[in-house]
Amino acid sequence: MYRLKKSLGWLIVTALLAVSSLASAAPPEDKPFAEKKVVLQISDQDAYKQTLVLNVASNLIKHYGPDRVDVEIVAFGPGLRLMFADNSNAGRIENLSENSGVRFSACENTMRKMTKKLGHPPEINPRATHVSAGVVRILDLVEQGYTLVKP
Amino acid sequence: MKLKKLVLTTALALGATGSAHATNWLQLQGTEPAGSAERLKVWGFIQPQYTYTENTKLKAGPWKGQKAVFNQTAPERKSSNTFQLRRARLGIRGANFPLDSKTNYFLLVEAGKNGITEFDSAVALTDASITLNHIPYARVRIGQFKTPGSEEGLQAIHVFDYINFTNVTDQMMLERFLDEDGSRAGFANGPNGSVSAFRDIGIQVFDWFDVGEWQHSYAFMVGDGNGLNRTDNNNEKDLYAYWSSEWIFGGKGARRQGWKMFAWGQSGKRTLDYTFGNPGKRDFDRDRWGFGTTFRKDKYRAAAEYIYADGMIFNGSDGGAVPGSTSNNGAATASLNINPNGESEGYYVHFGYAVIPQIELDIRYDYLDRMKNVDAAEREFTTLTLGVQYFFNKKTRALVNYEFRDLDAPDFPSSAPQNEIADSMDDRLTVQLLAIF
Repeated sequence: MYRLKKSLGWLIVTALLAVSSLASAAPPEDKPFAEKKVVLQISDQDAYKQTLVLNVASNLIKHYGPDRVDVEIVAFGPGLRLMFADNSNAGRIENLSENSGVRFSACENTMRKMTKKLGHPPEINPRATHVSAGVVRILDLVEQGYTLVKP
Repeated sequence: MKLKKLVLTTALALGATGSAHATNWLQLQGTEPAGSAERLKVWGFIQPQYTYTENTKLKAGPWKGQKAVFNQTAPERKSSNTFQLRRARLGIRGANFPLDSKTNYFLLVEAGKNGITEFDSAVALTDASITLNHIPYARVRIGQFKTPGSEEGLQAIHVFDYINFTNVTDQMMLERFLDEDGSRAGFANGPNGSVSAFRDIGIQVFDWFDVGEWQHSYAFMVGDGNGLNRTDNNNEKDLYAYWSSEWIFGGKGARRQGWKMFAWGQSGKRTLDYTFGNPGKRDFDRDRWGFGTTFRKDKYRAAAEYIYADGMIFNGSDGGAVPGSTSNNGAATASLNINPNGESEGYYVHFGYAVIPQIELDIRYDYLDRMKNVDAAEREFTTLTLGVQYFFNKKTRALVNYEFRDLDAPDFPSSAPQNEIADSMDDRLTVQLLAIF
């Protein structure tokens, strides 16, 4: 009886861990009707690229409609400047996030390196979710069926 | 792959839109958009041009029959029919440490032939400033840069809708620096350096605020008031103040659409070595103030400004002759003159209409009442300018200006030598090609 209980206990724990692992890897379920899933990479500090990646997100939303496309912009390396709180595109980021459900992810590895160079942590746009590594986030999303676009 | 092609094509077709970095002249010249500025951005523009007048000679006075200064092409005043590299500027700007959005720099040099390069060297520094954006509502700019003042002077020259400045801006705001007032007999008084180019060396506190669809800007500046690339020649400092409020209709950059109202004032002192026929250093007030408006929406552009000048009034050359030329009887050499106690006022009105995106028609009327407080010296300049701009692309355009120019000495009869000299002023045709890179 004790052995049975112990086995059952392990089974439940294992099942819970598996479910929680799946849950953490899955994207937020705020776009249940999305037919297209796109992850946009910004790893370049060029102002034109910053504008372009936001234009691409806007155009996807316009083309498919906000409910039919799931867009996440992942910034790492020099591209993290797009996620700076004082970035001149902050208004567009707020608009895309609030009105179109576009998600923004900021790489913590890059933040750590920038903190060393700056002497203080960079102030990140509150709309951005912190992810441990931008490139890992992209790989996870690709595994989940997202199409990677690097404008 | 198909999806990537679709989004990229759509994005590029629509182009870059919607940047939050709306601009005004204080903002545009030296402040970079936060978080996206490059470490070093190379830019510049070139303005070759051709100028023609009929070269009518002076009709009266001690230099009768000689070249009239106002019919010759600046800065050398040797030809009335000449090609010229009016401006050739090369600059760099950016955020020297891109991770820190709060520090910007701006550097620009002039290699064209104009009042900036006429005296000192073939290449001259026009702008070298550092802007610190650390204090909320009080950005700080230090170095050599455009002073807050009249719209024509403050605006970026490469988006100017005309080739030549109005009379009031050219004579009252584009300062010529002279050591003497021109009253010393037998001395060819002339500039001691380049023109001000609407710039000064000093420190400016400024910022802008968005309130709904309006953007308000202010600037206060303290400067030497002694021109470009040199230290002050006295211990007095020039003070500058500026305010603008603009209702923004849309767009961005130097051709943003909106309706702007502005007012400004400048006050300083100038030291002259010889005045009113007497040697000896004396300080004189130089005050300028003005107000105006600009409008730009869809196909329509308009602007108007009033400028008042008190003290240190540029007063042309003796007898309308080219400075340095000897009078017919050999007794006098033409000098440039400044009246330290003079007063002047002027205004301009401008309308523009873009017939099609590539072609813009412009018309401008400007008036200057120079030395209005001294009857014998008073001169009225009136110019009607017709202009056409053809845009080869967003950054390359050709400009053609025809100026109907009129000069009058209102306190003398039309037959007086003063008015005969004034009648020597020709209309002027100028053609310019402008390429920005």
